[in-house]
Amino acid sequence: MFAISLMNGLVMGVIYALAALGVSLVVGIMNVVNFAHGELYILAGYFSYLFASALGVNFVLAMVIAVGLVFFLGLLIEYLLIRPTYGNDMYSLILTFILSIVLQNAYLLIFGPYPNKPPLWVQGATDVFGLFLYGNQRLAALAAGAALIAVIFVIIKKTWFGRIIRAASQDREMAELNGVNTTRLNMLSFGLGCALAAAAGVILAPVFPVTPTAGVPVALTAFVVVVLGGMGSLWGCVVGGLTLGLVENFGAAFISSGYKNVFGFMILILVLLVRPSGLFGRAKI
Amino acid sequence: MTGKRLGFISALILAGMCILPLGLGIYPQHVLIVSLFYVMMASSWNLLAGYTGQVSFGHAAMAGIGAYTSGILAVKAGIDPWIGVCAGTAIAALLGLGLGALCLKMGGIYLSLTTLAFSQILHIVIVNEYDVTRGTMGLQVPGLMAEYSKITYYYIMLAAAVLTLAILYRMIHSNLGLNFRAVQNDEVAAKSIGVKVLQVRVLAFTVASAMAGFAGGLYGHYLLLITPEIPSLDLQFNVLAMTVIGGMGSFIGPVIGAFALNILAEKIRDYGEYHVLVFGLVALVVARFAPNGLLGIWRRFRTRPHARSSNRLQD
Repeated sequence: MFAISLMNGLVMGVIYALAALGVSLVVGIMNVVNFAHGELYILAGYFSYLFASALGVNFVLAMVIAVGLVFFLGLLIEYLLIRPTYGNDMYSLILTFILSIVLQNAYLLIFGPYPNKPPLWVQGATDVFGLFLYGNQRLAALAAGAALIAVIFVIIKKTWFGRIIRAASQDREMAELNGVNTTRLNMLSFGLGCALAAAAGVILAPVFPVTPTAGVPVALTAFVVVVLGGMGSLWGCVVGGLTLGLVENFGAAFISSGYKNVFGFMILILVLLVRPSGLFGRAKI
Repeated sequence: MTGKRLGFISALILAGMCILPLGLGIYPQHVLIVSLFYVMMASSWNLLAGYTGQVSFGHAAMAGIGAYTSGILAVKAGIDPWIGVCAGTAIAALLGLGLGALCLKMGGIYLSLTTLAFSQILHIVIVNEYDVTRGTMGLQVPGLMAEYSKITYYYIMLAAAVLTLAILYRMIHSNLGLNFRAVQNDEVAAKSIGVKVLQVRVLAFTVASAMAGFAGGLYGHYLLLITPEIPSLDLQFNVLAMTVIGGMGSFIGPVIGAFALNILAEKIRDYGEYHVLVFGLVALVVARFAPNGLLGIWRRFRTRPHARSSNRLQD
């Protein structure tokens, strides 16, 4: 029980971290919270299902296409909806919230309320340290998620683009003075944030099938992770994501499974009470 | 608009609202009662989003708190629904005070995140605590009067809506209302002239939560069956869309939005459950291109020919 909860917690924690990275990136740079994050996560799940199961495309290619499409959708959303609201944070909250409801209802109309599932990458199960049998698909999800997080860290810490992102999230005006086209950067980072949601979506969809409203708890967890880790902090996302994944799964195993998502809320309240700026303080990506 | 003229028009509308349901059947009366519930919800949400610049996604949850508090008290302890509604209002106000004090010092985004989480958690708790809340089956509660009568409910809801609107009107047109506006427009400037920004925000959130709890309590005793549909994101979205489409930040906008959208929703329902999608798309377009809603469009249209001489924008 302990070992399997630990394992589940790790898998979920990595996915939470991935989803939260997308939110945190956008918050850090644009000071915008995308309430449609969960719906984009679900959209990528639907895309990969559509391409792989219905059209018979290779599952890896289907995943890449799905993430790419959501990335472009993210660029479009930023251009059409977010860009005109700069300087008024409130409207971006309202607009993305409306967008999330619109998307949920559109999915319901197009795909119906039934769970859809893209094909598994791998079959079977592995014996983990002789303790328990664990589904290979979940192990693959864990590996893929961890690898992707590593890639993001390398991009942000080592590349020129990452340097621009760090500069803009530390001091926007200063970055602008140094020749950063922040309008373009906003668009790109919003798209990237959406693509990260999509990546989490395609990785997790084979394990947890997508339904029109399945994105809500995921997005909510990502928000809690972002607050827990500290808005705009990348390390905060990783630590916060793993913490939340573990707390939820241990809580579900040893206290009550119906209240799995409530533990996250308790953490949120606790953070706001004790350390409102989160574990890793404010915004030094 | 002068005070006298405003009073006259309000009295006229009120008289019209009193006579309106008399000639109507049961179904239109029901639609009107639900509209009045939404008038209370949208107007009080507007106090937050339109007047103090805070976006709460837990307004429907507060209505749910009001409804379930009153319902559970009536069913489990046999307490009179009217007292229950008052208790529900008080609990919603207390929760509003707590949540507001907890997250508003960190800024608006935290309030949005926390209220969204709060509404989801409330949903989960209600569904899981079947023994107390009857989960998704819904909690059967007694009505407000011994004998069920649509028309009496209509007048009760009308009185409650008028009371809510009157309180909101007085608040907005007082010094406090000026503080609200100041906090919304420029937090730093407001702080510099001695406005207690945090207190003003928390106060607005508490008042709005209490109003939502009040509306929810009455609504639950009208429906006679309280389900998790009341504290749901769909209802929250309805309230938001009504305010945004009607005209955020204007007193009358949410009232118009509530009636228009609720009646329209009934019409669209004839063709299927598309109204949420339709309202969502309309609300997106309105919020993007006409942030002052239908009322803003109408006002711009009216004031353009004599923009300089008119002071209508200040009413």
